[in-house]
Amino acid sequence: MGDVILTMKGIDKSFPGVHALDHVDLEVKKGEVHALMGENGAGKSTLMKVLTGIYSKDEGTITYEGKEVEFSNPREAQDAGIVIVHQELNMLGHLTVAQNIFIGREIMNGKLINDKKMNEEAAKLFEQLGIDIDPKETMSRLTVGKQQMCEIAKAISHEAKVIIFDEPSAALTEAEIEELFKIIRDLRDKQMGIVYISHRMDEIKVITDRVTVMRDGGYVGTLITKDSTKDDIINMMVGRVIYEDPKTESAVPKDAPVVLKVEHLNAGRMVRDVSFELRKGEILGFSGLMGAGRTETARALFGADPKEGGDIYVNGEKIEIKTPQDAVKHGIGYLSEDRKRYGIVVDKTIAENSTMASLEHFMKGAFIDKKRENEVAQQYVETLKTKTPGVDQLVVNLSGGNQQKVVIAKWLVRNCDILIFDEPTRGIDVGAKSEIYQLMNELVAEGKSIIMISSEMTEILRMSDRIVVMCEGRKTGELDISEATQERIMHAATLRD
Amino acid sequence: MEKIKQNAIVKKIGFNSLVLLCVMVLLYILFAIITPMVKVNASFVSYARIVSALKYAYFLGFLSLGVTFVIATGGIDFSIGPVMFCAALISGYLLTMKGWPLVLCLLVCILVGTVFGILNGVLVAYAGLPSFITSMASMMLAKGIGSVFTKTQSVSWPQSTDANGWYRNLVGIKAGNMEIPTGLILLIVGAIICAIILNKTMAGRYILCIGSNREAVRLSGVNTKRWETLAYIICGTLAGLAAIFYVAKNTTVLPGLGDTFNNEAIAGCVMGGTSMTGGVASIGGTLIGVLIIALLQEGILAMGFQINYQYIITGLIVLVVVWADLRSRRKRN
Repeated sequence: MGDVILTMKGIDKSFPGVHALDHVDLEVKKGEVHALMGENGAGKSTLMKVLTGIYSKDEGTITYEGKEVEFSNPREAQDAGIVIVHQELNMLGHLTVAQNIFIGREIMNGKLINDKKMNEEAAKLFEQLGIDIDPKETMSRLTVGKQQMCEIAKAISHEAKVIIFDEPSAALTEAEIEELFKIIRDLRDKQMGIVYISHRMDEIKVITDRVTVMRDGGYVGTLITKDSTKDDIINMMVGRVIYEDPKTESAVPKDAPVVLKVEHLNAGRMVRDVSFELRKGEILGFSGLMGAGRTETARALFGADPKEGGDIYVNGEKIEIKTPQDAVKHGIGYLSEDRKRYGIVVDKTIAENSTMASLEHFMKGAFIDKKRENEVAQQYVETLKTKTPGVDQLVVNLSGGNQQKVVIAKWLVRNCDILIFDEPTRGIDVGAKSEIYQLMNELVAEGKSIIMISSEMTEILRMSDRIVVMCEGRKTGELDISEATQERIMHAATLRD
Repeated sequence: MEKIKQNAIVKKIGFNSLVLLCVMVLLYILFAIITPMVKVNASFVSYARIVSALKYAYFLGFLSLGVTFVIATGGIDFSIGPVMFCAALISGYLLTMKGWPLVLCLLVCILVGTVFGILNGVLVAYAGLPSFITSMASMMLAKGIGSVFTKTQSVSWPQSTDANGWYRNLVGIKAGNMEIPTGLILLIVGAIICAIILNKTMAGRYILCIGSNREAVRLSGVNTKRWETLAYIICGTLAGLAAIFYVAKNTTVLPGLGDTFNNEAIAGCVMGGTSMTGGVASIGGTLIGVLIIALLQEGILAMGFQINYQYIITGLIVLVVVWADLRSRRKRN
């Protein structure tokens, strides 16, 4: 490790209602790989966005190569030598590798693009990195791993001095990760400063020199990787005081009937051989880190995405779910994590959204019985305490929490017995959050059963009777609430096979 | 302004439709003033002119009503004009050359439209093809099939005085010097039925919701493919019906034509406030939009200009309306 190249000190950033970064420090030296770790929502990405000028900071200083800097957009940061290799690849599939690498700064020959020269330059870059990729190949024909290499080549071509890797290994195979690590070590030897964001504890031990841990937007501490254990890091990541009382004991009797049984569910890379049971009156928490395959499992189960295999039993009876229609017919309702895209029809009214899944029960001959539709919608506005001037209000005019209540109303009107709540309180303010918790408790008390996917540890520990933990598409743990702790969940959530 | 928008009656009719209605009346007054100025001895204010304009609006109106359903789902149908011609050619050929009974031929005429509707709907909703390309292809199919069926001959439907001429009463009944506009009554009845389907039935509800957010509707357990297909079937069937009103007005149908009517029908629909991105549709608006186009055409003919001026003006109006729609959407988001 050499001299310090980048120092972020006392970085503070607030969004309306959220204190996203609370005086965070980060120091990167030349020739080191520095891990940035933390749970979902700990503020890692926000910190990197402040660094590269996507967000402006409220307080604090950034010192880069001995000078205080403030970038107003990623382009400026790039020109100064700070680049991000993103988790989602920003590649144009139909262009060639070289064209992608030089996008936005094409090498010109007068008014024409000089493809030959760009191919040569790209080839030089790959040679420098020791990667075997043909610059003339079409991008979409490369594997995800190779595409990632191209991203890195692109980053280096900017004459980068600091490279940030945002979960680079999420989509890679074992062999590709090996190759990635080789490149990262090379870059380190060339005295670049590298920030490595990852959830994978094993990788952190292998590739990084120091670890900075963040939690709830705050700075927890920095460790030398080789002097610390996996448990040290996990403890730093989860060591928060839980203000809301976690559930200690499940109220569901051990012999409660199984309402939903899923066996060996397989759907693509993100759902691999997942099996679990849901009992009557139970809240089954699904925990795991981002990209663990929880939403994918729910969508495959609900018939929203195709599945390759797996048996589903509702109340002991084997059923076939090919489309969401089938799922709804068997009394399963799904509240998506992305309300706006998958939950509500924003430019329709509350009443129209409420009856969306059960319109056939509101028909009077060939016509919709709007009077009854409004009555029922009104009834649910009252039970769910949805704040609105009336049921003819367009959903677009409601706040996030109230929109969520409309989606819930849609499934309650349908009278679904099995409800999948995918991140039910994401983007919802604190007051509405506890209302939704209360509602979920009332629903299970009535004998409905809930699968709750949540990335918030406190939410999982407060609401669940049992917890399924997933990692990379597999079920890696199942805990009763009485034995569940943050540490045990986090252990299972970082288990790789 | 806000006060007017909140008024109960205005809300019922729709503010946009009301504005459009005013535009139509102003346009009529404008033509009434300008026509005698640009052409000596010409006058625009006459019953005959109104009847003539209306006759153009009947078949165009049915086309436009139909395509409103497709646009409401967020799709588009560029085949309706040629489908209308294809239906008129096939059924007319069966009537005049094969001697099929008239009533049967009228049914065949509508049915040809329905078949094209089913074709478009299944390809778009079930096979997942883009509606733009699908309807372009079926437009060519319609043109080709119509021409091949009649051996590239034009078809002349019977005149009013012929034995089978009663069908022409569908657009107007001569009563002495006056003509009773039966077509107007039928078009209004058709529009009312369409408005009921769109606003009061399950089909209409889901068609509009699909246009707003298809995934949310699908994930509510609704068979979105079925309802989307239905929108295309309604559209095709109304194109077949439009063909009857076309031949009742013109009697002669030429093979290999019809595309210009696509543009005018879609223009009428868009002018009426139906959003090209789907989810928002107004049958009343479509009706007025079509009447404005018919009025424009009549006015320009009355002034003795060539018909292409109508296309220029219609094109400009459509641009302005779509631009205004986009702006109000951006503001809302």
